[in-house]
Amino acid sequence: MAKVYTGRDGVMQLDGATLAKVVSFSFESSLETLETTTLGDNIRTYTPGVVGYSGSAELLYYKDDAGVINTTEVLNSLVKTGTDGVASTDTVELTLRWVDGSDENDIKLTAYITSANIGAATASLSRASISFTGTGALSTVSI
Amino acid sequence: MAYPTYKPTARSFDAGDYPVKVFKAQNGSESRILYGSKRTNMKLSLSYENISDLRAAAFSSHYDEVLGTYNTFTLDSEAIAGWDGGSGVIDAVASGNQWRYESPPQISQVRPGISTVTVNLIGVL
Repeated sequence: MAKVYTGRDGVMQLDGATLAKVVSFSFESSLETLETTTLGDNIRTYTPGVVGYSGSAELLYYKDDAGVINTTEVLNSLVKTGTDGVASTDTVELTLRWVDGSDENDIKLTAYITSANIGAATASLSRASISFTGTGALSTVSI
Repeated sequence: MAYPTYKPTARSFDAGDYPVKVFKAQNGSESRILYGSKRTNMKLSLSYENISDLRAAAFSSHYDEVLGTYNTFTLDSEAIAGWDGGSGVIDAVASGNQWRYESPPQISQVRPGISTVTVNLIGVL
C-alpha cells in the first residue's frame, strides 16, 4: 500500500536495541569528487573519490522505570572520564529505520560519536544532541 | 616510447634566457656578452591531477626510457592543450631546444587507482 513516511515511522537503534525518546535523526552520505578537467576543456569533469557517512540525532534525556537512562551508552562513547580519550573501539552500531508494519527500511552503520551536547533549561525538556561519523562500509542499506 | 600524450590539468612556463655572460667591474659597471642566438633553459611544469595509476605509470616509464635526466625529447601537442598563443611560445623546440627532465616525475597517490603526477622539464640546446 502506498505510504508517505513521517516522523512516527522513524526508529533509531543502538547495537540493535531501540533508543527511547528519539526526537529526530538525520543521515547524510557524501562523495568526494576529484576533478579531472584538463587544460583546453570547457566543461568540468570528475572521477569519484571517497564516500563518507555522517549524521546527527536528538534525544530527550530520559530515565525509564528500571532507572536506565536512554542516552548513557551513546554519550559515553565520547563523554568519559580518564585521560585516554576516544579509542578505536569506541564505535557504536547505529540503525536508522523507517517502519511500515513489518516492512523495515534500514541504514546500519558503525560510527564514532563526534559531538555530544546535553543541557537543561527552565521550562523545557532536557535534550541530548549527538553527531556521528561513519567508519567503514554500511552493513545494511534497505531504504 | 614518446612522452605520454595526456592533457595536463595545470601548466606553468618559464621562458628561459639567451646565453649571456655578465661581467661586473669593481666600480659596478656591467658588461654583457651574448654567446648565442638561441634562447634556452626554459622551464615547463606540467601537472596531471587525478589520473589513473596506469597513466601515472606511463610517466615513470618514459623517465626510464630517456634514462632520467640524460636524454632529451619533444612534447606532443597535448602538452600545450588549451594554449592559444601559438605553440612556439611555450615549446622549447621552436627555439631549437629539446626538453629534458629537470627532476624525476613526482607521483602522489590520491586514492586507490588514482594519482597526481607533476613533471618538471627544462629546455636544452
